[in-house]
Amino acid sequence: MSRFGAVLSGVAAVLWTLAAQAAPSTDDRINALSNEIDQLRAEVARQGNSGSGSATGSGTTLGGYGEINYNSRTIADDATADSTPKIDLRRFVIFLGHKYSEDLHFYSELEVEHAVASSEDKGEVELEQAFIDYRLGDSANLKTGLFLIPLGILNETHEPPTYYGVERNFVETLIIPSTWREGGIGIYGEAAQGLRYDLGVTTGFDAGKIDNPNAGIASAHQELQFANASDLSVYGALNYLGLPGLRLGGGVFTGNTGQDGASNPLLRGVSARLTLWDLHGQYRAGNLELQAVYARGTLGDADKVAAALIAASGDPTLIAPKMFYGWYGQIAYHVWKKNDADVAPFIRYERYNTQEKIAEGYTANPLDDETVTTVGANVNIHPQVVFKVDYQRFKTDSDKNRYDLGLGYMF
Amino acid sequence: MKSKARKHALVLAALLVASGATLARGVYQQPEAFISDAFAGKPPVATVLWLTGAMQPEIVRILRHPYALQRVRFWHSGARSAWVLEEVGKEEPITTGIIVNQGRIETVKILIYRESRGDEVRYPAFTGQFKGAALTANQELDRTIDGISGATLSSHALTRLARLALYFDARSREAK
Repeated sequence: MSRFGAVLSGVAAVLWTLAAQAAPSTDDRINALSNEIDQLRAEVARQGNSGSGSATGSGTTLGGYGEINYNSRTIADDATADSTPKIDLRRFVIFLGHKYSEDLHFYSELEVEHAVASSEDKGEVELEQAFIDYRLGDSANLKTGLFLIPLGILNETHEPPTYYGVERNFVETLIIPSTWREGGIGIYGEAAQGLRYDLGVTTGFDAGKIDNPNAGIASAHQELQFANASDLSVYGALNYLGLPGLRLGGGVFTGNTGQDGASNPLLRGVSARLTLWDLHGQYRAGNLELQAVYARGTLGDADKVAAALIAASGDPTLIAPKMFYGWYGQIAYHVWKKNDADVAPFIRYERYNTQEKIAEGYTANPLDDETVTTVGANVNIHPQVVFKVDYQRFKTDSDKNRYDLGLGYMF
Repeated sequence: MKSKARKHALVLAALLVASGATLARGVYQQPEAFISDAFAGKPPVATVLWLTGAMQPEIVRILRHPYALQRVRFWHSGARSAWVLEEVGKEEPITTGIIVNQGRIETVKILIYRESRGDEVRYPAFTGQFKGAALTANQELDRTIDGISGATLSSHALTRLARLALYFDARSREAK
């Protein structure tokens, strides 16, 4: 070999050695490819595995809940008993959400009540939530649109597997008018470790729209359907969730409801301020669950509201409550669990009066002052599928005593 | 009305400015940093656990749904192993770091939380309940974990992940 050839061979050997050192081994390549595949699979899994909502791709999620209930008796709008047993597809709800980015989300909840909705049926189609949620840097979350008001426990968490009893409790239906939503803008976040706050400005009630005085203020709820917005409301809530199983909190919602007489000219210039507040607690330790809610509402200018409602309708029973309140305590115990199955008997004691005080000169409906004891059990065959059975005893009006059966689900 | 609306807007603006709060969504620790911390800054080389067909039914039983991965990376030294696993709470995956020591949970730590609510599961008061937990014969935890109120699905997801990490740890030792 010439000297040139020897040099060339030497350079080639060095380059080969360097190249061999630089190139990844077969094992390294397999590992790198495996990691890439793992990452891709994990990403696909994020799109597919789900708790309550499943991804449909591109950041859009679907979820839902529903319930079918049997009542041996039902309760009419005038607070009297209807002794005809009924089975009703109470709710069929679809959640639709979309994630535009890590910080920008859309949430919605579309509900069909009572199976059929038409001009000849009692069913309704309702949009209960439709809002944009945006993370504002490191300072707060902003939400705007139609969203749930954070009072009580049930209003924001109302999927059937999450509460005891076939029917939603009376206090968080008649005093806190679940499912209660308003249109507006709010912020929420964590003020300290475990201490969550909610604040906002929203549409409010319209006292001129009261058409069922037995349901507290619920019938004045505008549901963001051409909502009169001369008077807006504000709300605030604090909840401590920092310890497992514990929730302690409360909230307040206040605003005028006269709406400058938009629904009833006699209410022009009438403030009719509504203030609704609550305190609530929840505690679970092992198999024991305790829950309690106290809620109270006051309506200013109730005498003027009552006079305006009666003048417009000619119905002397159409009065407005000056004060209304309710509270309940509930105990549940998980007596049997195996895999996904869970049996939890419970008892709930409720006291409420939707016409605790009314304007002078009017007569309150005695049926609106009620005490209800509910005894039953939730039987889960899956954490998100529940069968329910209970018996409800009404102290004021025993004609309403009934037993109920229910099937509920969420996904 | 205009003055009322202006007042409401001012109140809200003041609240936005005044708020110094933290948020639900967040990256609390990068997975790489968790692994590094788990081994005092000297993490071992990652190992792969292949999820065989025989393991899949048990995994489905723990998670209540099929698992998309066919292998899982983990890091181990002696009786300790560290895992970074994900499971969806309500709508978004929760990235969680779990250390298993001698078949019992040593640490559960939320690394990335993506839901808008329910991040109270990241607090030691919740994750500390897993410390010392082991699997029973039917792959359940040997203790009750109390969930966070209003974050039931996230609490359940983390319980499933703790069971999964213990199951993976046991299978990884059989594979050796």
